[in-house]
Amino acid sequence: MLVLSRKCDQSLLVGDNIVVTVLGIDGDRVKLGIDAPRSVSVLRREVFEQLRSANTSAAAAIVPTNLQSVAAALRGRTGQAEVRKP
Amino acid sequence: MSATAQFALSSSEHQLSPEAADVAIVFPEGLVGCPEWQHFVQVVDSDEALPVALLQCLDDTTVQLMVTDPALVEPGYTAPLSSAERAALGLSNAIEPVLYCTLSVSQDGSISANLLGPLVVNPATRRGLQLVLTESSYSTRHPVAQIGAPEGQV
Repeated sequence: MLVLSRKCDQSLLVGDNIVVTVLGIDGDRVKLGIDAPRSVSVLRREVFEQLRSANTSAAAAIVPTNLQSVAAALRGRTGQAEVRKP
Repeated sequence: MSATAQFALSSSEHQLSPEAADVAIVFPEGLVGCPEWQHFVQVVDSDEALPVALLQCLDDTTVQLMVTDPALVEPGYTAPLSSAERAALGLSNAIEPVLYCTLSVSQDGSISANLLGPLVVNPATRRGLQLVLTESSYSTRHPVAQIGAPEGQV
């Protein structure tokens, strides 16, 4: 891991077009400003891990025979609605 | 298996059959944390309309995601798209994207929905992406229902 020291208002560059700036330090909290192209996803790591976990558990938990029982459990909330097809 | 795949998967893994490739929903970036999951087909139960569907991954045939329309589990659910995200999907203002959220079933039969990271698909181009609604208070494990409970009770 590359380790750099930065002070308030100092920045670092990641690649050509991502700039990370230290905006403030308050106790153990560091406020960062990130300038990146809109196509670059910037996520808090714990959010990323939550999403990855949700995706893998959604993929792992499913046996096809569950579809009917899940549908039945949802019906009370959803009525006879149908999932749209793109 | 009552839900039957409408689209024949090629017997050799990681190869799309021509029919499947035509109708696949493509997530060019894959899903969050699972960048290799890029091609899916929606598997429907031909016998009756269900409020859930399966997205069968063609890149890893062991991966099936159970999905529903998030508005069915959370009335008023919205997933605001940035202009960059609309552009990535090729969405014009006239096209309303299709929203899915994945469902997980835990050991005790409780069903939860990932409302934090919905899947958004442009029905015209079949391109999709997984949004992350970081400004919202939605969770990845929004309780939905309980299998075996009287209908609709959580």
